[in-house]
Amino acid sequence: MKILVTAKRIPDPGQKIKLKGNALDLSAANWQLNQFDEYAVEAALRLTEDGAAPATRQGAVTVASLGPADVQQQLRSALAMGADKAIRVEAKDEELDAVIVAKTLEKLVRRDQPDLVLMGKLAADNEGNDVGQRLAALLGWPQATFACSIQVVDGGKALLVGREVDNGVEIKKVRLPAVVTVDLRIIAPQAVKNGRTAANFAYPEGPRYASLKGIRAAKDKPIEALTLSGLGVSTALQVKTHGSELPPARQAGKKIASVHELVEKLRSEAKVL
Amino acid sequence: MVNPLISDRDVDFLLYEVFDAPALCSLPAFADHGRPTFDLVLQNSRRFAREVLFPTYKAMDAEPPRLENGRIVLHPLWHKIYPQLVALDVIAASRPYAAGGQQLPLLVTTLASTYLMAGNLNAAGLVGLTAGAAHLIEEFGSDALKQDFMARMYRGEWTGTMALTEPQAGSSLADLKTRATPTGEGHYRIKGSKIFISAGDHNLTDNIVHMTLARIDGAPAGIKGISLFAVPTRRWQGSTLVDNDVAVAGMIHKIGWRGGPSLALEFGERDDCHGWLVGEPGRGLSCMFQMMNEARIMVGANGVSTASVAYHQAVLYARERLQGRPPSVKADASRPPVPIIEHADVRRMLLRQKAIVDGGLALLAVTALQRDLAGHSTTQHERHRAGLLLDLLTPITKTFPAERGFEANALSLQVHGGYGYSSEFLPEAWLRDQKLNSIHEGTTGIQGLDLLGRKAVADGGAALSILTEEIEQAVQKASAAGVFPAACTRLREAMARIAELTMQLAQKGLAGDVEGMLLHSADYLELLSIVVVSWLWLQQATVATQQLGQDQGDADSYQGKLCAAQYWLATELPRVSHLIDLCRSGEDSYARMQPAWF
Repeated sequence: MKILVTAKRIPDPGQKIKLKGNALDLSAANWQLNQFDEYAVEAALRLTEDGAAPATRQGAVTVASLGPADVQQQLRSALAMGADKAIRVEAKDEELDAVIVAKTLEKLVRRDQPDLVLMGKLAADNEGNDVGQRLAALLGWPQATFACSIQVVDGGKALLVGREVDNGVEIKKVRLPAVVTVDLRIIAPQAVKNGRTAANFAYPEGPRYASLKGIRAAKDKPIEALTLSGLGVSTALQVKTHGSELPPARQAGKKIASVHELVEKLRSEAKVL
Repeated sequence: MVNPLISDRDVDFLLYEVFDAPALCSLPAFADHGRPTFDLVLQNSRRFAREVLFPTYKAMDAEPPRLENGRIVLHPLWHKIYPQLVALDVIAASRPYAAGGQQLPLLVTTLASTYLMAGNLNAAGLVGLTAGAAHLIEEFGSDALKQDFMARMYRGEWTGTMALTEPQAGSSLADLKTRATPTGEGHYRIKGSKIFISAGDHNLTDNIVHMTLARIDGAPAGIKGISLFAVPTRRWQGSTLVDNDVAVAGMIHKIGWRGGPSLALEFGERDDCHGWLVGEPGRGLSCMFQMMNEARIMVGANGVSTASVAYHQAVLYARERLQGRPPSVKADASRPPVPIIEHADVRRMLLRQKAIVDGGLALLAVTALQRDLAGHSTTQHERHRAGLLLDLLTPITKTFPAERGFEANALSLQVHGGYGYSSEFLPEAWLRDQKLNSIHEGTTGIQGLDLLGRKAVADGGAALSILTEEIEQAVQKASAAGVFPAACTRLREAMARIAELTMQLAQKGLAGDVEGMLLHSADYLELLSIVVVSWLWLQQATVATQQLGQDQGDADSYQGKLCAAQYWLATELPRVSHLIDLCRSGEDSYARMQPAWF
């Protein structure tokens, strides 16, 4: 199975946000791979291997990202986990929106013809949650979002995808090729079943840590460099950022003497009644 | 906020701004690597330590191993983390490709290992021991031993120990009695008792290889009669492993490092314990020194890591714990209480910890760098120079993080107040862990004797001259950047006086008064430790000043470096003069003190 996985770099969500004027100041940001994309890499690796040691692989995993040269570090990190090759499309973070990203991915998919596009359900920086859906529409492919389990069925022609929805887990069958976006539980020990890995095999919880051998091997794996213009993608932004500000600091709480006073304050101060 | 264990910013600062780790890649041994690889190695250690190791620490401290039917049963969490630790390939990270390693610089792997140690020192300790034991076989063992033992150890299939200490001969290896009788079949029969053997038994792997010191029958008494053997817990009989007569005689009930076993082992109770000679007969101790020196640096790394994790815990606590008001508004009870980090004395305790932790981390880095240069520089001169500096730094890198780390760990507990004095909070556990570091792999007393009696006076004080050159360079750079001029002067003067003091003490020794020469070796060790760490603080302050001047990177972290440097140089550097006077004076109170007078 040929799988294309998307990998966005984001600033470490644990870091304090800094502003310069009314724009985000990312000069001292610690960049890392979006965690949901990392889960997608892990899911792709589980779909293409047999779980044994040493594992045998069937298929290929390509990781793609849009961004400046530094993004190579996040791509190498995915290659060190075990992905086979990477694609980087040169772009500046501030010159991208979801439409440009989705159209770029469409071009890559039409060119490389993967059987499956695996993506994080969203990027944990702006929590957009729309690139996967846009891509499926552009391609005219079936989509399954928020996947918490994936099972290969019909001799590799379709997937049974468990989707996390508000009232539980919905199981959908999608024929391939398809776009699947993954949620947190896709990295549970037995969430991915490719039909080859022993039924009782359990992975350690979470995305794998690269071995030092994997890290060394990653150095020699190819990272293809492309440009938006080379791919024929329009760079006109449809979403523009007008400014960023921190949420207002929380006010200290107040102790209230009576229910009467509470109702009064809800009406006059909070204005919710 | 969660405990970062070790600050990523501080590690990156040392690797990329102070010591230029990527420059090592111009050496043929490291030509394959570069910063992208280093960053991935670090990223892996960081995440693994935080996500997998640290969450297991408290449970393993609370439930130490059990001795059942003569065998050690470990906490079940060991079985979860050990295979994952092995899968990272960290055991042979710095060994050559030919030995199954990844040929990474020790500068990088040593700093990466601090995360693992800070996360769970018992797990990291087992890896370190196994690596050190396998390295002995790699360096001195036969090809057969390399294939049978070393390769499996580097792959983590078997683990290793160092079996030196005996009940009647603790630090005094000259008195050890374990015997090795030649069998004429290529191996020896080993018989004797060993004690304090870390990871001497467990149920994680099929086998454990004990690097054991013993005397071949007929060998002379003392150091020259000692040889090194690889003695497995189980040995091959055809293609199956059978019991090799290494029995667990007892388990030590330790106050720290409680997740892993420390054991008394009995070799050859049934006269059926086979051992294989490693290196030449009679050269056991000199071979073993390779592992001991590595282990001493590992102890230093552990000291820094254990102090660091506690320091970060104290910072987190002090930022969140609300209590009291600043002195200026003390009387005003209507003002809300402030986080205790607002109180000057709490910040003093935190900054003292930071000065020790960051200073220790820099010490570790500069020592690891000398190991890389001593092993892989392209010229004989550079290798020799780095080797001398490494020899001089080793007792300091072993001791400073252990002794000052203990002080830092006590301060972390103190910041937690009454809660710190309870086992509900972690600082007391780290304090217990830290205490071992001034004891194992040569006590602080022994390190002082090693530094003054051997390292400082070897080759007519050659190592001390190199240190003086290094300090002079740092002082010149600092002066050019206008950094702490008073400290620059003081440091320069201190080195001149230390050279003079060392010569004076060496002459005393040459004249036959060895006891007089070594009387203040512990003070001498402390003196040199303060000077070396001051040198490293001066270097860090210089870089921080330059980066701030160019508006580079994270200003908060550079300001923090400058305050810690200022604190260290203001509070510790003045002690140098006093310690020099003390060493010179030959102050003889404890020399004259008689056992009956205590």
